Amino acid sequence: MNIEITDLTRRFGRTWAVAGVSLESGPGVVGLLGPNGAGKTSLLRMLATVIPPTSGKLRLLGSDPGGYGPRRQIRRRLGYLPQNLGYYPSFTVAEFVEYFALLKEMPAARVPAAVAAAIERVDLSDKARSKLRTLSGGMLRRVGIAQSIVNDPDLLLLDEPTAGLDPEQRVAFRALLRDLGQQATVVVSTHLVEDVGAACTGVALMDAGKIVFQGTPDELTGRGVGIDAVGDAPLERGYTAVLSAARAEPARETAQ
Amino acid sequence: MTAATVPAAQARAWHLPRPARLLRLELRRNLMPWLLPLFAALFWLATYRPAMAAPPLWDTRGTMLQAQTMLAFAPLLAGAAAWAGSREGRRGTGDLVDVTGLPRWAGRLAAWAAVTCWAEAVYLAGVAVVYGITAHQATWGGPLWWPIYVGAATAAAACAVGFAAGALTPSRFTAPLAAVVVFLALGAGAFALQHGARPTYSQIWPLNAQGAFPPDAIGIFYPYLPDLAIAQLMFVGGLGTVALGALGLPAVSGGRWLRSIAAAVTVAGLAAAGTAVGLAGTARLETHGIVIPALHDAASDRPVAYTPVCSAGAIPVCLHPAFRGFLPDVTAAVTPVLHELAGLPGAPVRVTQVAVTTVAQAPSNGANLGPPILSGHPAVLYLPLSDVSLPGPGTPTTAFIGELRDELPPLLNSFVGLKVLNQPGSGGIIAGPSSPGAPAQIAVAMALAQDAGLLNPFPVPGNQPRHGNGSAQGPQATGAQAQAAAQAQAGAASRFAALPAATRHAWLLTHLSALRAGDITLSEIP
Repeated sequence: MNIEITDLTRRFGRTWAVAGVSLESGPGVVGLLGPNGAGKTSLLRMLATVIPPTSGKLRLLGSDPGGYGPRRQIRRRLGYLPQNLGYYPSFTVAEFVEYFALLKEMPAARVPAAVAAAIERVDLSDKARSKLRTLSGGMLRRVGIAQSIVNDPDLLLLDEPTAGLDPEQRVAFRALLRDLGQQATVVVSTHLVEDVGAACTGVALMDAGKIVFQGTPDELTGRGVGIDAVGDAPLERGYTAVLSAARAEPARETAQ
Repeated sequence: MTAATVPAAQARAWHLPRPARLLRLELRRNLMPWLLPLFAALFWLATYRPAMAAPPLWDTRGTMLQAQTMLAFAPLLAGAAAWAGSREGRRGTGDLVDVTGLPRWAGRLAAWAAVTCWAEAVYLAGVAVVYGITAHQATWGGPLWWPIYVGAATAAAACAVGFAAGALTPSRFTAPLAAVVVFLALGAGAFALQHGARPTYSQIWPLNAQGAFPPDAIGIFYPYLPDLAIAQLMFVGGLGTVALGALGLPAVSGGRWLRSIAAAVTVAGLAAAGTAVGLAGTARLETHGIVIPALHDAASDRPVAYTPVCSAGAIPVCLHPAFRGFLPDVTAAVTPVLHELAGLPGAPVRVTQVAVTTVAQAPSNGANLGPPILSGHPAVLYLPLSDVSLPGPGTPTTAFIGELRDELPPLLNSFVGLKVLNQPGSGGIIAGPSSPGAPAQIAVAMALAQDAGLLNPFPVPGNQPRHGNGSAQGPQATGAQAQAAAQAQAGAASRFAALPAATRHAWLLTHLSALRAGDITLSEIP
């Protein structure tokens, strides 16, 4: 298992952003769905070792990231695209990707080919020499994806990767996700359920800091069948049905 | 993407090891190249123009490259480094950088190294320009490197301090604040040096080349004393090390071992800077520079061998070859005085340039330099040029000659037997005309000065002196009585100066011994 988390919590002040999450995942693409404020980004940042958990057990790629040595090992095999991608406007696309390849301590001899391959996979080869300041938002997102996959990560964490991509690029990106999921564990946090349906082998739905559904996209779709759930697509109806059920349960318990 | 689309320069760099490639990226995408025009303008204003206006002496220009250049560069370097250091915070790449394998401290050091490489390149380019021109102009010696070492270390330290400020407190305001703080810190150091109760400690300030010592008096007659420069290197190196060590202290910077190393580096930097300040506290001014006993090499006390350049004439004027270009001007300044004395008993047979005759620490980091002195048998006029402005674009030759001649009247005083207080700062003022023969001695000295075209060393009370060169009137001789005595002296002086030179010379030849002994009265002067 590349991801093993048990009762993981994260608190910011008095707010429990993640309130006891357990999840296991091997290679494949896991979609992390949920409304705004559900705790997806906090969970992803813990998985990326940006922030430590408040409590619970976390193992990534077979190691506990609590210690610096294992954490460094994990980070070398990790790809991460944050929700808000920061970038250096004066860098070119190739330089930016190379910069992160070097920071990820890739063997020097592998860097040039890896940079070229990553840029090609996000279809930015013709922009390799362009300064980042000249790129559109969608292109910058693709640069972010390129830097996250440059080291061929075993664990890839993508927070809203398709935000700003045009439909054609989203289709290409889903194909890339499926490809990456053959070898690695890919966790994609998104609001777009059609991305999950098209690219993910598993899905986890979060609400109020907890995972309220875990299964396959088909199983999530099944939850919306025969119920008067809101949504234009079957997967969306499953999504809203699960959320409605999850929110109704605490209310019912309170009423009793 | 294929290899063909990768920039050629990038392809060339692929064989480099990882740290070198990281540095190369940081060098290429640095703020510093955009600041080059500003650095060039500052260099031209702060260093190039003053250096070219100064005499072509290696030490004069070397010390300018330490002090003036760094005063202009260091604040800007700190600001540029702070901008680079705050990049992750300003651009929101902290999360991305955090989750990479390379310790954040190492990544930051690479970014600092890039800024510092640019800073050193800019500084050394300036050094190359000034030293290149000096190589064509100077008549003796070679480049002085210690001030350059201190300047280069100061540049690196300014970058380190600025970078640490930017990295630890990232904001768009950090860069201008860092520049202002470094500028004020440099100003505070200069203030402490000038007004400190114990200026010895503040000698450590990196813009202080050799304390109050005139730059033309160091590294010429004696080897350049590196004592202070070594202490300054320790100080700025320590400050820079503290800043770089502090970068590695936060939890995100690396593991426990790495942070322990960072803490040790910080402590080592503090120790080096503290030791340097302590060493500066023991500094003392000597005739060939600032000596710090613990760092002093006695070999530096041995004079540098040189062959003087001399003017042709009855009394040759000999200068250090570094001052070869000034020989005609110095000869022009002293010849009228020499002409007055030539052939008389005790007259100098030669004029020899010396670094300084005496030196003493004055308040507020000043130095009192001794005047020219007449000494030895046969007598030699030992002439320092350290206390005068040497001719150059900023100082006309006439001004130089005038300044040099202003130093000569006390020589005439001593020549005719007046007791001269050869204390530094006394201006060679005599003890006072208390001896019976002093008025005649004063009158003759006045006459010789007048004939040689020098300042009147004994202006009549009530008349404005041309320069504040002091007065010979004793504290008790005041009022109308003093004025009458002075007028009598002036009358005798005018009378004596009006004599034909040959007559005057003949009288001096026969009466100089009696005059010196105080046996001649005013009325006996022809």
